[in-house]
Amino acid sequence: MPSLFINSVEIEVQPKENIVQAARRAGVEIPHYCWHPDLSVVASCRMCLVEAGTKKDDGTVAMQPRLVPACQTPATPNTVVVTDSPKVKSSQAQTLEYLLLNHPLDCSICDQAGECYLQDYTYQFGKAESRLDEPKVQRQDKYYIGEQIALFTDRCVMCTRCVRFTREYSGTAELFVTSRGSVEEIEVLPGQPCDNKLAGNVVDLCPVGALCSKDFLYKKRVWWLKSADSVCQLCSTGCSITVDQSESKVERVRPRENPQAQGSFMCDDGRFGWKFAHSENRIRAPRIGRASHGQVASPQLTTIGAPTNAVEQYSMSVNQSTPLATATVSDLTFADPWPGLINHLQSVLKQSAQDHPTKTLAVFSPFMTCEEAYLLADYLKKTNPKITLAMGPVPVVGEDDTYPKGPKGQSPAAEKTRFTIRAEKAPNRLGVEAVLQHFQKSIVNDEQWLSSMELNPFETVLVVGNSPAEWLNDETVSKLRRAGKLIVVDILENNLTHAADVVIPGVSFVEKEGTVVNHAGLAQTFHPAIRCSDGTRPDVRTYMELSGRSGLYHGPTIRAEMASVIPAFAAFETGELGELGKRVFS
Amino acid sequence: MTTENKKKTVRFAEPPKIGLSEALYLPAIAAGIATTVRHMFHKNQTRQYPEVEPDIPKNYRGVHRLNRDDQGRVKCVACFMCQTACPANCIEIEATGTDKNDPTWADRDKFPKTFVIDELRCIYCGMCEEACPVDAIELTSIYDLTGMTRQEMIFDKEKLLSVFDETVQSGKDPVRTVRGQLGPASERLSS
Amino acid sequence: MTIDWNFLWPLGAAMVIVLGFVPVAGLYMTFIERKLAAYVQDRVGPNRVGPLGLFQSIADGIKIFLKEQVIPSHVHKSVYLFAPTIGLMCAMLSIAVVPYGPANAEPGPGFRAIIAPGVDIGILFLLAISSLSAYGIILGGWASNNKYSLFGATRACAQFISYEIPIGLSLLGIIAMTGSLNIEKLVAAQGDGIVNWNFWWQPLAALIFFVAALAESNRLPFDLSECEQELVGGFHTEYSGIKFVLFALAEYTHLVTVSFLTVLLFFGGWHFPGLTGPVDATVAGFLIRWVVLAVKVSLVVAFIMQLRWTLPRFRYDQLMGLAWKGLIPLGILNLLGLVIVLTFDASRWWMTILSVAILVLSGMANVTMAQKRIQRKAASRMAMETQYS
Repeated sequence: MPSLFINSVEIEVQPKENIVQAARRAGVEIPHYCWHPDLSVVASCRMCLVEAGTKKDDGTVAMQPRLVPACQTPATPNTVVVTDSPKVKSSQAQTLEYLLLNHPLDCSICDQAGECYLQDYTYQFGKAESRLDEPKVQRQDKYYIGEQIALFTDRCVMCTRCVRFTREYSGTAELFVTSRGSVEEIEVLPGQPCDNKLAGNVVDLCPVGALCSKDFLYKKRVWWLKSADSVCQLCSTGCSITVDQSESKVERVRPRENPQAQGSFMCDDGRFGWKFAHSENRIRAPRIGRASHGQVASPQLTTIGAPTNAVEQYSMSVNQSTPLATATVSDLTFADPWPGLINHLQSVLKQSAQDHPTKTLAVFSPFMTCEEAYLLADYLKKTNPKITLAMGPVPVVGEDDTYPKGPKGQSPAAEKTRFTIRAEKAPNRLGVEAVLQHFQKSIVNDEQWLSSMELNPFETVLVVGNSPAEWLNDETVSKLRRAGKLIVVDILENNLTHAADVVIPGVSFVEKEGTVVNHAGLAQTFHPAIRCSDGTRPDVRTYMELSGRSGLYHGPTIRAEMASVIPAFAAFETGELGELGKRVFS
Repeated sequence: MTTENKKKTVRFAEPPKIGLSEALYLPAIAAGIATTVRHMFHKNQTRQYPEVEPDIPKNYRGVHRLNRDDQGRVKCVACFMCQTACPANCIEIEATGTDKNDPTWADRDKFPKTFVIDELRCIYCGMCEEACPVDAIELTSIYDLTGMTRQEMIFDKEKLLSVFDETVQSGKDPVRTVRGQLGPASERLSS
Repeated sequence: MTIDWNFLWPLGAAMVIVLGFVPVAGLYMTFIERKLAAYVQDRVGPNRVGPLGLFQSIADGIKIFLKEQVIPSHVHKSVYLFAPTIGLMCAMLSIAVVPYGPANAEPGPGFRAIIAPGVDIGILFLLAISSLSAYGIILGGWASNNKYSLFGATRACAQFISYEIPIGLSLLGIIAMTGSLNIEKLVAAQGDGIVNWNFWWQPLAALIFFVAALAESNRLPFDLSECEQELVGGFHTEYSGIKFVLFALAEYTHLVTVSFLTVLLFFGGWHFPGLTGPVDATVAGFLIRWVVLAVKVSLVVAFIMQLRWTLPRFRYDQLMGLAWKGLIPLGILNLLGLVIVLTFDASRWWMTILSVAILVLSGMANVTMAQKRIQRKAASRMAMETQYS
């Protein structure tokens, strides 16, 4: 097996690797700014200079007299690399001193401070003092780089990662370099800001605090952020992401490298798409009783827990008119609303399954996690196998958006596509369909159940929404409204929840644990970043209590159970899917 | 342990010698009374507080203030270092960018929109002052802080600036820490 | 029945003076005690209310009267409320036979500085009544239904019983010498010059009486029944406001009584060298004698207060040991010597010599015992040293 030597550690050669990557495998960090695995190599920052040579067959080593950039040097067999010699160290210190020559000492107000490669490398490889006597060159800050991007020009170290990204990855090429030497700057053309759908990635790419996200600017210092591994749920690409939160408020979302899912980047739709989790429009308590017929009622008025006369009267009238309701006003109004709600739901569903099982319908949404779908389907089918489980509409917006774009904005050829924003704006169609296929033996799509709603309406309908945007159109809602009892699980108030008889609050993906299966059949587990919004609780907990399962929800246990019940989920056997997910079906 | 060392570590105190005067108690009581009577004519060690104020040392850690720069703007650059250093979690800052069209703020990027210190929660350790890179937060010699409600003990930015005005103008507390014109974080602005 | 005003008005006046004097004295004794404490501790003491803080006591008094009446729910209510009044009642009743100013041995008409003049069992009455004041403390401690209160009361009970014996023993000598129980007569017997003060004949009895009386009046270093470190507040833990003040007043009244008795019985009362003739011959003579008495009493009061800041509180076993192993044997020996001297009709100076000799001998015996104790400890120390080496 051919091998190479990093600081006399022998490691195997792997194809298409440079010395930086090989050294990383050997546990040696070679500092670098301009090199990025997904971008072309320019070797311009000179930070990764190392000593390199070749070990000859007779065992002697011939070192090259000059230092070579590790990012540009392929890790070929018998290469000998030295990264800790005085020569290399002196080179690193001098390079850093040069990079810091005009760098302002404004770490205290820089958003990058705490996760800045300049800071890290200066501590590790640099000198403590500047020898510059002249005033530093100051360049004007540019707040107009893009809708979401500001450039603090004087912090820039001219690694040109951002420029190469817009040219090679997004293909839109808004950014370029003007001037030379110490007045070199990143720039955009007037009237052509960097606003493409992948623009947010240049902020992540920037190794220093030059490119900043205006959305996150000055919001929080990064050392207060706590991260959770998650999966973006806004399209079926299912990008791996990291959700950064502080004090139970999401502050930003960053892509997490996952070659199986999307690579190293993510789109701006997903990057800023978490904000619905903190929406004013969240449903914060369960409620029994329709808000009003056709009118939009303020959520407070009908929320269980709000002790207003209107609610009491309304709940009373509902309770009197529907004999199914066992929950009384007194145990719903002031106390924890959830036990009463679970009781109410159980009795409604049981009664319905007894009286008219074939006229009971449950509509699953592609925004559910596999575990939620499994627990709910399992419960309903155990209540009565004749209950219909159906698939809700899967939102599709336009066509797949592929990158890098051509010079005229055209989509690339399929084999040259590096990033795709899917038209299917739901994370888990495949997963939910697999669950329904198992329990229902066929997928009942929205056309089928909508037509039967028209002809021979279902008596009891349970709809799970959980979509970040309005999911069903008014026509669909009015058809659903023909049911005698409409139960809705949703995150935000919308036309469906206004029409519902019972509303159960769900939670967004940043608040819960679960597994979604992306367009390619890759199942990834995401983890809660923040506590559930006040008054809400994870959907799985609702379904667990509904089905009378004991104990707390534990994701791996449920997934292992799914693997034993549903053959399609055999890959869930251990319950753990790892950081990068597992391919369950293709 | 050797015997020699043992002898050194275990020490026996000599019991006091008891003679007739100790056994009769009365001389000892007389000596005690002599002590107490002598103290009656000693100088008082107390101070009549509201009339006579104590001498506060220069490094006393009292109520906080937010310093102003030479243009009268708040010196703080909202770097959150004090909030990070604070062991009592009594500082709460909300930062914002400066208005780039306002010429008076043209040389500044970031400043505190709100700066709130809960003086009741504070333990007056001075870590914030130590952490501040621009010498913006300082503890003054004001030691007699009182209030009728919890609310009025929560000092906002305006209140903290007014403490600066009060203490600096009265000459009681000159700015303590001066490190260059504006401190390192604003160094580039002044050069 | 006709009312004899000539007989009643001196009685009424004497009573009014006592009744008025006791609360004011109580308030101002607190003030003086606080001031004294402050001076001993190099402080200023109360100086905010009025000139030199003189109105502090009045402010305190008003505050106490306006205080909320707290009656805990767990107490025996009637006894709880009654106990302080018993305490104060006994304290004030014992003053009845104590001349608080110059008084003739033979009661005559006109004002006299004593409520009940010419009581032939004066001392006995006084001892009996002041012992009763233990009742107030015991009842208060019991009615509070609180273990600390009960502990305090129990301690007070044992303390009262123990220290009545040395008091009696020390007074017996004087009574034997004078041949009367009437306090005025006891004072009158000391009238012939300073050498006639009982203190010179009976120094040991004076010491025993003073120590035992301190214990009887619950003053430091003998206030074991309200020892804060162990018993929160002792018997008055559950008392506050005016009810607590009644207890405090009783204690101060005791303090005054004890001071008066010390002066009257051992330090010649209102007698002073150069003051001769009947006490109420002239108004000026009467007043000068009163001043003499007042100064003597004040000095004793100040001395007792000074003792408070000089001596630490006794341990309970030490307190009991002092009474039963110290004062009672000394008192008996002293009485024995006195009886011998009186029987053989020897010179009275023998009493003094015997008193001092008894004291010194007991001290030497104490030294011997202490040396034996030290020897025992040294022996055990030697044993330990051999063990360690």
